[in-house]
Amino acid sequence: MLIAIARRLALSLVTLFMLAVFVFVATEIMPGDALDVSLSADEIAMIPPERLAQMKRDLGLDRPAHERLGAFLGGVVQLDFGRTLMSKTPVTTIVGYPYRNSLILAAAVLLVAIPFALAIGIAAAVWRGRPIDNIVSTVAVIGYSIPEFVIGTVLVMLFAVTWPIFPATITASTRDPALTLLAASPLAVATVVIGSVAYLARLVRTGMIEALASDFVERLRLTGIPEWRIVFRHALPAAIIPSLTAMALYAAALVSGIVVVELVFAYPGLGQELVRAVTRREVHVVQAIALGSAAIVVALNLLADLAILALDPRTRRA
Amino acid sequence: MNRIDRRNILKGGAGAALLATVGAVLPGEAAAQSQPQRGGTLVCAQLSANRRSAGPNNHRHPYFIVDANTKPIWSTPTWVNPQLGVELEIASKLEPADETLAVWDMTLREGVMFHDMTEMTAADATASFEYHRQNAPFARQITKVEQTGKYGVRFTLESGNAEFPYVLAEYNSPIMKAGPLETIGLDGIGTGPYRIVQSDPNRLMVLERFDGYWRKGFPYLDRIEIHNREGQQESALNGLRSGQFDAVLNIDARAAVQLANDPAFDIESSKGGYSFVIQLPKHPGSPWLDKRVRQAFAYAIDREAIVRIAYGGKYGWVSNDSHLMVTDPVFVPRPGGRDVAKAKQLLAEAGYPNGINLGALYWSPQLPEAGRYFQVLQQTVRDAGFTLTLDERPNDGYIQFRTGDNDFAKANFHKFAMTAVGSRNPGISLFRMRGAFVESGHWRGPEHDKYLALYNDAMVTADALKRKAIYAEMQAILHEEVPAILAAGGDTFLVKRKHIRNMPYHPQIWSIRFEEIWRA
Repeated sequence: MLIAIARRLALSLVTLFMLAVFVFVATEIMPGDALDVSLSADEIAMIPPERLAQMKRDLGLDRPAHERLGAFLGGVVQLDFGRTLMSKTPVTTIVGYPYRNSLILAAAVLLVAIPFALAIGIAAAVWRGRPIDNIVSTVAVIGYSIPEFVIGTVLVMLFAVTWPIFPATITASTRDPALTLLAASPLAVATVVIGSVAYLARLVRTGMIEALASDFVERLRLTGIPEWRIVFRHALPAAIIPSLTAMALYAAALVSGIVVVELVFAYPGLGQELVRAVTRREVHVVQAIALGSAAIVVALNLLADLAILALDPRTRRA
Repeated sequence: MNRIDRRNILKGGAGAALLATVGAVLPGEAAAQSQPQRGGTLVCAQLSANRRSAGPNNHRHPYFIVDANTKPIWSTPTWVNPQLGVELEIASKLEPADETLAVWDMTLREGVMFHDMTEMTAADATASFEYHRQNAPFARQITKVEQTGKYGVRFTLESGNAEFPYVLAEYNSPIMKAGPLETIGLDGIGTGPYRIVQSDPNRLMVLERFDGYWRKGFPYLDRIEIHNREGQQESALNGLRSGQFDAVLNIDARAAVQLANDPAFDIESSKGGYSFVIQLPKHPGSPWLDKRVRQAFAYAIDREAIVRIAYGGKYGWVSNDSHLMVTDPVFVPRPGGRDVAKAKQLLAEAGYPNGINLGALYWSPQLPEAGRYFQVLQQTVRDAGFTLTLDERPNDGYIQFRTGDNDFAKANFHKFAMTAVGSRNPGISLFRMRGAFVESGHWRGPEHDKYLALYNDAMVTADALKRKAIYAEMQAILHEEVPAILAAGGDTFLVKRKHIRNMPYHPQIWSIRFEEIWRA
């Protein structure tokens, strides 16, 4: 067990190192630099070339790539991503609240979506082939297939414009308390929940159908244990184990991947910050967000692996 | 607002020159047409980009705030009105010290208070312009700024500039509280009608009325919330439709056309907001070296069709192959209209009797209508024998891509490419066609030298009519030489709810007078 854990931890660290290098290279090959984007054509036209060169030097944009990679990796080890190129603000200050806000949104979505997904997935599996299963399966495919910006726009049109019940766009500040932010974001949460329930319910349904058809469940039925107890006590844990990795990856994707929803609702999360950083060529911010998101994926994957190790004895022998 | 004594703006012809461009409607007159009410909040969304990302340390500094948000907080010595004329603002007097127009004396208004209720003096102005001249492109021409009295300031320029008062109206010319160069402006304290009470960098700014504002009776609103929705027009318009926002600034023409039919909203437009320039590379071997090809191209474009199709007719205007906006009083329309026969004839004379393939015209989606604009252009020049493809490039890094660094050995120089240009005073606009490689024209030859000589003359010519004549002569050179193409331009728009009054748009978005807006 310990060896298995150690192996996975080591693998995660190697993955993170490779990701750090990849993120650096990816930001290096973006066209232009912070200076190109931060100055308008008017300004560039007025600035003498020697002053432009000095500004590049001041920003460290003239240093060779390998020097900057070394400095970047050294900083990553200390969780120091440097300062923004233009405003000289610590990158951790810039990305701190957006990270928090994206985590809040992801947590709210999962808190609502997981119970729904479990209930719907279990019901569809238990009554497999019946009308409820057909409805759940069909709606889940539709819900998962429709792009989130379409769902979001429809919800806005219905519940903010036609019936002005909820706000159409989020006017809360980046640093507002979590509850204030959530109170301003019901449609954003609902938009992601719809897609999430659809995806997770299908995972649960598939796992449950497999578990309910397995030999150990058949044997339990023969012992006369009530069906509800078989479903919740025995089949459900067995069904969830194979889905854990997929769920972990989905949760990680929620944190960093709901850019579109953030744009539709102007949610002050990581996606908006990433878009802003890319367009401003703030490479240190891009690196911090990309690497942080990758680290979340690796960490959740590791947690899922460890959970599977703990829950499924067969994996410890592998 | 106090009426400005026009005789006092500038003495002599320079004053007259500027006054010739001052519009008939002075700020405040429009408000007087109805009964302004006091109080209330304006919640608006702003779609303009903030090129300089603000951080926690500098988000109250005027250089790191979206340009449209600076004037409610800071006052500038002068102000550009919607007709692109310049008026005195926080300066009570501004005049050249001599006929060279290279030294300017400014007197500040007395009794103007900062938001911390200290009085603004020349010390604040000199400290501010010491900062601006080192950091703002248009202010770099100031070689020295010195205090000449409690309210007196003297500017010494590199060379004469009859249009220097326009520089003092730029959003990067606010008067901040005096302080060291490293920290000046970071406190966010200005002399404008509103003071900052909350600032979330790049997202939200909340302003409250400043009771000590120097324009007596203003502002009307108690509070303004400006939400940054850069690149998120749909989100902003959803907020407007749901009632969260009272107004959205800088919407595109298509949205303006759609919303104009909704009785809940008013569309405010400003003629002459911006246009597109197409640079014609003149490196060795380029067909654009031949003036006749450039002239033929200018004749081949159906500019009216661009206005009709890309701007729905009424929201666009035909440009004249200069950077001047159609609303500029010195704007001279290009003589003659589209002439396909003449274009063909010129092409034949240049050695292309069967037409010419120009390759790719690069463009980037800087404004929503850009794609359609250049498709129309592509189609219409085909009639005269010009073939070109359209190659879309991302906005990121586009400036560098478009102009290159003039390195011919690496084939890194001017591209056959477009970019958007905004409205400025004639001097700056016409200067943009000079021969420098970063500029749209990037041309040379005797006509260019004559053009620049005329520009230099204009800058030291005090007489308004004489300067206007020089500008006309410069435009005639551009019409003949066609260093670059500016075929058509578009208006700028805002949409607001009906209860928001006296919020007209401005071709320079940073010159909107927020203090005159009120809620019914």
